[in-house]
Amino acid sequence: MNISNLINNYEEAVAMLLFVIGFSNLLLQPNLIKKIIGMNIMDTAVYLFLALKGYIEGHKAPIVVDGIQSVDAYVNPIPSGLVLTGIVVSVSVSALMLSLTIRLYRRYHTLNLDEISTQLKKEGL
Amino acid sequence: MELVQNFPFLTIILALFSGPLCSILKSKAAKWVNTIVIALILVMSVAVLIFTIQTGEAYVYQMGHFSAPWGNEIRVGILEALMAVFFCVVMLLCMLGGRRELAEEVEETKQNLYYVMVGLLLSSLLALIYTNDLFTAYVFVEINTISACGLIMIRQNGRAIEAATRYMIMSLLGSGLLLMGICYLYDLTGHLLMSNIKEQVALLQQSGEYHIPLLIAITLMSVGLAIKSALFPFHSWVPDAYGYSTLSSAAILSSLVSKGYIFLVIKIFYRVIGFDVIRESKVINVLFVFGVLGMIFGSVNAIRENNIRRMIAWSSVAQIGYIYMGFGLGTTAGMIASLFRILSHAATKSMLFISASGLTDVSNHDTDFFGLTGSGYRNKIAGIAFTVGSLSMVGIPLFSGFISKVLFASAAYDTSGKLIPAMIALALSTLLNSIYFMKTVIRIYTPSHRAGIATDTRTIAIREQPQKTVVLVLFIALNLVLGLGSQPIVDLLTKGLEMFG
Amino acid sequence: MGIWILIPIFLPVVAGVLLLLSSAKAEEETPPRCASAAERAGHSKNAARGAGAAKSLTRLHCITAAVLVVSAVLALFAAWSGDNSYTWFELMEGIPIYFQIDDVGRLFVTVFSIAWVLVCFYAFTYMKHEGKEQRFFGFYLIVYGVLVALCFSGNLVTLYLFYELMTLTSMPMVLHSGTRESIMAALKYLFYSMCGAYLGLFAIFFLYKYCDTLTFTAGGTLNLALAEGHTGILLAAVMAALIGFGAKAGMFPLHAWLPTAHPVAPAPASAVLSGIIAKAGVLAIIRVVFYTVGADFIRGTWVQTAWMSLALLTVFMGSMLAFREKVFKKRLAYSTVSQVSYILFGLSVLSPTAMEGALLHVVFHAFIKCALFLTAGIFIFQAGLSNVDQLEGIGKKMPKTLWCFTFASLALIGIPPTSGFISKWYLAQGALEAEVGAYSWAGPAVLLLSALLTAGYLLPIVTNGFFPKKKEQGEAVQKEGASAHGATITAYAAGNASAADAEDGSSAAASAEVPLGMLIPLAAFAALAVLLGIFPNPLIRFVGQIAASVL
Repeated sequence: MNISNLINNYEEAVAMLLFVIGFSNLLLQPNLIKKIIGMNIMDTAVYLFLALKGYIEGHKAPIVVDGIQSVDAYVNPIPSGLVLTGIVVSVSVSALMLSLTIRLYRRYHTLNLDEISTQLKKEGL
Repeated sequence: MELVQNFPFLTIILALFSGPLCSILKSKAAKWVNTIVIALILVMSVAVLIFTIQTGEAYVYQMGHFSAPWGNEIRVGILEALMAVFFCVVMLLCMLGGRRELAEEVEETKQNLYYVMVGLLLSSLLALIYTNDLFTAYVFVEINTISACGLIMIRQNGRAIEAATRYMIMSLLGSGLLLMGICYLYDLTGHLLMSNIKEQVALLQQSGEYHIPLLIAITLMSVGLAIKSALFPFHSWVPDAYGYSTLSSAAILSSLVSKGYIFLVIKIFYRVIGFDVIRESKVINVLFVFGVLGMIFGSVNAIRENNIRRMIAWSSVAQIGYIYMGFGLGTTAGMIASLFRILSHAATKSMLFISASGLTDVSNHDTDFFGLTGSGYRNKIAGIAFTVGSLSMVGIPLFSGFISKVLFASAAYDTSGKLIPAMIALALSTLLNSIYFMKTVIRIYTPSHRAGIATDTRTIAIREQPQKTVVLVLFIALNLVLGLGSQPIVDLLTKGLEMFG
Repeated sequence: MGIWILIPIFLPVVAGVLLLLSSAKAEEETPPRCASAAERAGHSKNAARGAGAAKSLTRLHCITAAVLVVSAVLALFAAWSGDNSYTWFELMEGIPIYFQIDDVGRLFVTVFSIAWVLVCFYAFTYMKHEGKEQRFFGFYLIVYGVLVALCFSGNLVTLYLFYELMTLTSMPMVLHSGTRESIMAALKYLFYSMCGAYLGLFAIFFLYKYCDTLTFTAGGTLNLALAEGHTGILLAAVMAALIGFGAKAGMFPLHAWLPTAHPVAPAPASAVLSGIIAKAGVLAIIRVVFYTVGADFIRGTWVQTAWMSLALLTVFMGSMLAFREKVFKKRLAYSTVSQVSYILFGLSVLSPTAMEGALLHVVFHAFIKCALFLTAGIFIFQAGLSNVDQLEGIGKKMPKTLWCFTFASLALIGIPPTSGFISKWYLAQGALEAEVGAYSWAGPAVLLLSALLTAGYLLPIVTNGFFPKKKEQGEAVQKEGASAHGATITAYAAGNASAADAEDGSSAAASAEVPLGMLIPLAAFAALAVLLGIFPNPLIRFVGQIAASVL
């Protein structure tokens, strides 16, 4: 565990940093839109991490061109597949969150979740 | 390959496609399609269960043409089949029991959407039960979250939407951690299929390399799923989500959705990491502590709560604590106790929700504690069912709760050092449970004219609500079966757990 | 053949459940007070309705009496027709729900059945003034079935199961009146019982690990080889069981529910709660100590010392509190606290003679305490008098009742030739014989002191009842005092009684003697209390046999 390790693996470090940023945004921001942005940052960090893991220096994307079928020519395709799947999931979740946000905004004219809670308490529901 | 062996896959697909089908149907037709699909899946799951019991071993079902390290797999054993059967039963009963509320509380045009969500939820639960691929599990975890969120927000009032939002936020935090953990593990082992990961983890453990990353991966996944299944202290969304959603949603959410995640935790412990590694990792000690705290904290909050629905929701927090405490014991016996608790809690909690709604129906829809005075007389079957559920929760012999508590106690006995805290936690939570449940039971059987409280005088006879009566009677029967005939089920769980890893 | 054991258990339970189911609707709809008032008066405006209600009431009484008597006869037949056992089903692997009839079970089931049937006949009259008879008798029957099962239980888990059920099913009798006070009392009852039962379960759990079997065997089944090295925790478990099951028997430190819960219940219910259900705790303790752990295991350990100390402390404390208490039923409840601990003390010295004394006291105290509570019930029913000070001169109005009370009191104090004397004699003798150090003389001393206190809190009622100091004047003053006290009896009972007063229109609330339906059971109990003291030999032989088998 020393600093050179960290520098050598700076990509992973960046991914983790992004993940933490996204996570804390999702957790701590009272504003719903900022929460959603946080969530997207968090997911993106994971995709970055995955893509890094699949990448092999100097290899190409796993699309067969020019009839080259050797394994050495391409990067690992599975993480790419995972990233794609992850993006799909992330998009649908974002859409759901945004639709919830719109509903809440129409009702309470604010994006602040804490304020919405106070208003709800006032309604006495 | 026999026909039955295709059934797990077919049930997942059937549930998944019943969703889109429901979206184009009228709400009434959707209702029937949904019921029939769940019933069909139930029958198929029973067939699978019988098949696995007969063969006595788990089998792997390959999806598509890619074989082991690359392809996607389903793995079916007794435990999985039993869970699938049980989840279908509870789901079917919850849907039937909450039908009238659904019709009242949800707009006519939105009702078919509800069945879409239920279909998706069931399919994701089944997939979580059966899948042998970690990333597939993640995807279905997200589908589960989305559909559960849909179940909460289908009731279009501010409270429900806010609860759905809070639920969603907590769930997303959980899934983020889970996904990160899975990626870590993939990075370490190079596999996504659970069985293959386990081999690699065993190798890693032998060589002693990458000890800390492995620990981090385990922690991330456990914490992520703990957040999603509302383990204390990540439970803040529970009372609102269960308290303000429509009846069948609350019942399904409390008894099934969180259990799906918990089942995934078990799967990760046994099949992905290996239970020995987990035991050494000390993560379970953390789970134990939070489980115990959850048991106490949930019950204390339930005592302070005046709204009956929210009270039951708080009790769910405590029950999740029980289950994680069982994990935390770190023994197979503890795991079996937890599994039995999953069954017992699913059968009891949904019954409590449905009977509580029956009681509020005859109390001007007043969920407040005092409004329920005497409601046990006005809606007899709901009163009886609530009493049975309460007794089971408190842990009176004859009902399922007692067996599960005994299982926990005898599991705790075999551990070193966790016996005393577990015993104290069980004792305290039993006492606290008995306070708030018995308080409620006495309240619903206190004649209102004696107590001097003006309440609704409407009564609902059993024949006016045949559907609910049947559902509640079946739930009571289920509880008694679990309470009296527990031994065969515990045997099945034991056998299932053996072939699970 | 064994399956016949189930019949006296299930017959009353099923009948009770049916009664409850058929009553649930009627109860919520008709306010009970007007119904009972109509029956009492017999000439109110809605006479037709009153007559109808009276008819259905008679039917209810017939059903209850028939079911109870038949099941009691069957239970006694099952008990006395020889040793028998029956495994009902397996709750979990190796833990069957198992019934077995032995001498202890026989003794308890006989006492319970006699008292239960007699109190039931008393309740037919008494409950007219409390209303909601159907619910009361429903639960009354269920509790009887559960008690029979408790007596016949063949292993600890079965015992625990029916012990819990007994708590739950007897709770509605405490909260019968439905007032806030009674609900709080019922919750307190439940809380203490649950605490106790959980402690018991904790012990059962350990015993399950260290005993060869949980099936009751005279002398215990503890596997000493297994227990080697775990003595500390096992002793702690036994202590937990003693404290836990002692809760039901009103033993310190879990005794506080008893003086709260017993007085708020209707008089027949208080009678059986004090006389019978408290004994269920004793039965559970006997089963744990003598039939599972074995007396030798705890002899001379700190557990025995602690148990004896707690029992003696409770004996003394109960008597003191009873002495200072002014509310009649509460005084009797404190007396129960003290007297049941006599029994526990007799068990705790672990000597055969003391155990004989304890078992005799189980029988005698059950009958005596029922008699005392039934008397208290008659005073409330006839005159609305619940405070001890109000009872001055009551002997003039109800001489027969007070005579019965006098005999029961003498028996409880232990004046020869009544029954209490015999049991206390054996208790004291057993304590003196046993090698328990200072306790062998401290025990009898405390018992004697407590007997004096018992005389002190019971006899003044008799003397004042027969020979009032100041007659008319005193009564007026005390009536005012009663209304100021307020908390003395449940508001409902007071209201109802005063309504009865108004209807009768006479100044002396109950110049007429008590209805025979109430007097006969009372007299029967009083007679049993005295006669068993005069002809105790068969009983002594029987309990001697039990004591010899376990010690």
